[in-house]
Amino acid sequence: MTDRVERLVNLTATLLDTRRPLTLDDLAERLEPAYPSDKAAQRRAFERDKETLRDLGVPITIETIDALGGEQGYRIRPEDYYLPELALAAEERAALHVAVTAVRLFGGAGREGLRKLGGFEGTGAAPLAHLESTPALAELFDAVAKRRVVTFEYRGETRRLEPYGVVHRFGHWYVVGRDQDREAPRAFRVERIEGEPSAGDAGGFVPPPEVDPAEYLRADPMTYGEEEPVEAHVLVDATRAAWVIDELGDDAVVERRDDEAIVVALSVANRAAFRTWVLNLLEHAEVLEPLDLRAEMIEWLRDLVARAK
Amino acid sequence: MSASPPSGPRLQRMLSLVPWILAHPGVTIPELAARFEIDERQIERDLELLPMCGLPPYTADRLIDVWVADDGAVTVRLAEYFERPLRLTPAEGIGLVAAGRALLAVPGADQRGPLATALEKLEDALGARGGVAVDVGDTGELERLQEAVAARQQLEIDYFSFARDEMTTRVVDPMRVFHAFGEWYLGAYCHRAEADRLFRVDRIRAVRPTGEAIAPERADASDELDDVVYTPSPDDLRVTLRVGPEAAWVAEELPVESVTPRAKGRVDVVLPVSAVGFLERLLLGLGSDAEVVAPREARSIAADAASRVLERYERAS
Repeated sequence: MTDRVERLVNLTATLLDTRRPLTLDDLAERLEPAYPSDKAAQRRAFERDKETLRDLGVPITIETIDALGGEQGYRIRPEDYYLPELALAAEERAALHVAVTAVRLFGGAGREGLRKLGGFEGTGAAPLAHLESTPALAELFDAVAKRRVVTFEYRGETRRLEPYGVVHRFGHWYVVGRDQDREAPRAFRVERIEGEPSAGDAGGFVPPPEVDPAEYLRADPMTYGEEEPVEAHVLVDATRAAWVIDELGDDAVVERRDDEAIVVALSVANRAAFRTWVLNLLEHAEVLEPLDLRAEMIEWLRDLVARAK
Repeated sequence: MSASPPSGPRLQRMLSLVPWILAHPGVTIPELAARFEIDERQIERDLELLPMCGLPPYTADRLIDVWVADDGAVTVRLAEYFERPLRLTPAEGIGLVAAGRALLAVPGADQRGPLATALEKLEDALGARGGVAVDVGDTGELERLQEAVAARQQLEIDYFSFARDEMTTRVVDPMRVFHAFGEWYLGAYCHRAEADRLFRVDRIRAVRPTGEAIAPERADASDELDDVVYTPSPDDLRVTLRVGPEAAWVAEELPVESVTPRAKGRVDVVLPVSAVGFLERLLLGLGSDAEVVAPREARSIAADAASRVLERYERAS
């Protein structure tokens, strides 16, 4: 086992140091501790080492060497391998240490990252927040950073997205960007993506210069949707008014009535989310307009009553 | 190959350790152990392995040179190819950036402090400037509550019990404030309930210090965030719901006690319910995707709640 770590260190060093791609024959000839001499076993051992390095994120480039009749050569390009110089100050590392201890997500990947940035400065902090994390998020983040178009299955449809950012809100992660087929901005809940998203080549799109994924944060879940946004008005009883104002802000209030009930305006692009929101207020709220939304709500409630009969 | 020994993590550790030693010659083993949160013995073993590593043909001038002085000061030479650490993986990148962005979004965070500048450097290096946004919500009394926790101040709060649909006033000893599942919670000892309770911060309508300090013997009992948000009590009603494929999230996101597959992609879940208001809201939202199977007396809950809401529409129309 120590032998294997030794060989992995040497393999990494050799591939990083070489200017020209090395074939498996080259490596088998030079590397210590040596690969098995049996060709098939040699190939298996090498593939396994390659897999281990790849799992750690070591970027191995495979190149075809024409001079050797199309044999494959391997190397690690320094520019792909080395972490760019961040010039973090000790207090900045300490601040990141506080962040990864206070905010829990991803089973510790952030902590591993901090080791690369120079380890754990200072004392960290007590847990303060827990963010949901889902494996697809790392891939989507990579796609945002490298400008890769992502393709994924979402609610039974294939979507192609130019991802501008990942956004956490309401306890969920969303990937936001431009939907290539709908030619419009869209947000998708990451945990609802079916299977693994597949990412295209780096530099596959150019984001607009002023894009700010955080803008999606200011929107409500009701505006995350596929539908044409409509403005809805909801009457909220006095007993729940303070509540709703807390949530939507004063600006949402379009009318204050004598009995201290309020009417709020909401932009709705997701009717299901809107319905859930209104129904959370039980009999203390009522959809006023548009009339088709009101009619939908009445129908929804009548169905529920009818099913019990 | 699933039985392979964990060479990966050890290699990963060494690839972070060596660049730091190269940049900080003379750093001691205890310092390294503290900085990287690795056992001293492990570091010694890694340092013993390094001199066997290097470049072909593994002659003295090609092997990594490690020198550990009597006082534990470490120097490494002939390893220029490891002078910078390996790049962050996407999971490490988002793990760091999201944690930092979340902390920076907490009300009261210093928007120009070292965390903000560290994140800018990091995002620039990753090519993801502005590509991660985290909203943890800013809820009215959050800062007041955090101050009360820090100062060990007893509070009287007006709390709206959403599940029971009623406003209550109670005296609490605030123990901690934390964010989970998209909401802020206050963990406190509640003098009314005479027990530890969790309160949703957005449902705390008013906060008044009682002027009392929290008794020193009162300590925060909860260490982990994961399982504290709703702890079903044995006394809670158990409701069996049959949910369709569209409502499958119920089984994933709510603290269900069992999941039994049924025909046509539906599942039966057993859900502990502490208050009827919660169940009413859930069922109204799910509509025809869910129905109560048991107990019998709970079967009409959705229809009863729907009738109550419907009444107000029919009165107005």
